[in-house]
Amino acid sequence: MRIGTAKETYRHDEALFDTPVQRWWLAGLFVAIAAFPFVADAYWIYLGCLVAINIASATGLNILTGFTGLVSLGQAAFMGVGAYIVAWLEINLGTPFFVNLLAGGLGAGLIGILVGIPSLRVKGLYLAIATIAASVILHFVFANWTSVTGGQSGLTMPPATFLGTALDQPDKLYWLIVPVTVLMVLGASNLFRTRIGRAFIAIRDRDISAEVLGIPLLRYKLYSFALSSFYAGVAGGLWAYFFRVVTPESFPLVMSIFFLAAIIVGGMGSILGGILGAAFMTMVPEALKLIVGWLSPWLPDAVALLSPVRTIVFGALIVGFLIFEPRGLAEAWRRLRRFFHLWPFKT
Amino acid sequence: MFLKDGVKRRTVLGMAMAAGLAGGMPAAQAADDIVLGGSIPLTGVFAFAGEGIHAGIQDYVEIVNNAGGIEGRMIKYVPEDTAYKVDASVAAFNKITSQYDTNFYYGDSTGFAKTISPELDRKGTILMAGASFASELNDPEKHRYQFMAGPDYTEMINILLEYIADENPGAKVAYVHSDTEFGRDPIETSQKRAEELGLEVVETIVTKPGSVDVSTEVLKLRRAQPDYTIFHGYVLAPIPEFINQAKQMGMETKFMGTFWSMDNSMVMKMGEAGDGFMGVMPYAYYYDDSDDAPMLEKIREMRPEYQSTAYMQGFLTAMLMTESAKRTLEAGKELNGDNLKAALNSIEDFDTGGIIGVPISIPGNSIPVGRIYRADMSQEKMVPASDWIRLE
Repeated sequence: MRIGTAKETYRHDEALFDTPVQRWWLAGLFVAIAAFPFVADAYWIYLGCLVAINIASATGLNILTGFTGLVSLGQAAFMGVGAYIVAWLEINLGTPFFVNLLAGGLGAGLIGILVGIPSLRVKGLYLAIATIAASVILHFVFANWTSVTGGQSGLTMPPATFLGTALDQPDKLYWLIVPVTVLMVLGASNLFRTRIGRAFIAIRDRDISAEVLGIPLLRYKLYSFALSSFYAGVAGGLWAYFFRVVTPESFPLVMSIFFLAAIIVGGMGSILGGILGAAFMTMVPEALKLIVGWLSPWLPDAVALLSPVRTIVFGALIVGFLIFEPRGLAEAWRRLRRFFHLWPFKT
Repeated sequence: MFLKDGVKRRTVLGMAMAAGLAGGMPAAQAADDIVLGGSIPLTGVFAFAGEGIHAGIQDYVEIVNNAGGIEGRMIKYVPEDTAYKVDASVAAFNKITSQYDTNFYYGDSTGFAKTISPELDRKGTILMAGASFASELNDPEKHRYQFMAGPDYTEMINILLEYIADENPGAKVAYVHSDTEFGRDPIETSQKRAEELGLEVVETIVTKPGSVDVSTEVLKLRRAQPDYTIFHGYVLAPIPEFINQAKQMGMETKFMGTFWSMDNSMVMKMGEAGDGFMGVMPYAYYYDDSDDAPMLEKIREMRPEYQSTAYMQGFLTAMLMTESAKRTLEAGKELNGDNLKAALNSIEDFDTGGIIGVPISIPGNSIPVGRIYRADMSQEKMVPASDWIRLE
């Protein structure tokens, strides 16, 4: 039960984590994240890294779509921009990874601003189409600017190095990917306690009212695009370090849809939603594979027989969530928390 | 009553959980099993091939295990579905290699093969092959622990060009390829080869894979008036549309394809227009009885219905992997990447039992052998149009 959490100051009221219990849980989570690579095998560490990269990118899209209300289907292409910048810098200049990641993020952010310009005029589905157009253009550039992007065969890059150690394995890269993601997620959570973040929410809720309140729409919409693409760029850079091969086919349009689906399933306009959605969309197909694997002792050739079924189940799960939990996994989580706030007095 | 029901339910639930837990453990690997892991695209855009590949590998492994394994050691095939996505393929690789001491691996795409190559080098314990015939992978220095069970894409086109140069010296050739890594792969390099063979490349057309409206491209092709038109980088569309429109315009060019557009079921989907469609095929078709082929007969015995060319690819890949394991063990050596690759490269004039109609050798990462087949719509079959062509 939640007791003794009277908020006596505005500062307390605005705190990101407002109860001691919550802070303890958070500390526990960080300990678990730090201990994870010591207990898990290569497969789970790999998935952990993949989930973290997807969380970073989904959080970026959540800033744009969930908090500012601008639908974008260009997230994968922005990740591509970041990935190509990181790969190019790593191959040609050999600059340290944090410089490359920052450059990848900033480069993607600049492209994001360009793509965001139409957003003052067009909204909703129209904007989604405009961002698809932008991603088609970006893909064309990836495939045809051969001297920089390596054309269709792409770029193969060396691993990141830290103090002379090559980060070439998921268990080493984990220490790069996860902290960067944690920083980005914390940054995004804090954003919505600032003027800029609140302006985003105001624009989402009613852009005309926001303008009346003195929020310059174009500037803030472009901020949102820039920030979202920055997140995508950094995530793309992490992706590049993770797979070390970047090709035009690495960031297809379906990947953008994947991220949009992740924030819808997780809960739009909620940082936790982005995290849960990205984890759900990445892990459920793998979990279903595990279940198929468990059935193999009884069902010969279960992998071949059940793989199509697995795809259908995954689709059905997404539809199920949209129907029964339209506000996303984050809402289910909140409900669970509320239950424990009153427990055991009301169950 | 309620309690009884509850207990029952709980008992059933407990049993189910226990069963689940028991099954949750990865199926035990006997200490000396030889493990063949696979990132197999059983769903997604490449599933049509993945299913065949899976069945092919499975059947060959069964044949070997029924005959007592290799030096008494059984082969364990561990497939995992990837939906033809690189990240899922790498996940499958990590999963399988962390659960089993893997000796061989089957990869599903060029992207995966390139991504996993540094990891194969680092591990040094696995020999990998896969569904990709990318020319880039045919580099034993760069991709030390990989091979492909057939000619690479450049070699496939070169086989077609040799056939053309033989049939119709000085002929005019046009390329139609998709705007993908797969489509662009052999174009530049094989153009050089065409010139060396005295053939004239009159047009190169690039389209999107699976595009529907190709009328402007067909007009372009008509202006070039090639004797032969080679498609590459497609599975089906837009090949039938191209051929239909070209035939309606009265063009006489002969159309040709490469491995992935050459399966019997794909070609037959072209309908009447596909009659006479030719292409290079590294393996004999399921129903091919032009050569003495005990292995094909065995396959027909095991599976009475038609099996795709992807099946043959999977089957032969498993056969070559097994052969290299056998040679390594016979030499009393440890099963690691270097020894397995050396054993694979020692394969010379090897009889595949008719899967490939001539004895094969694998000096590098590929088997530069293929045959030209032609679609005969009256029989609904692909029939041999040439003898087996071996590139020097």
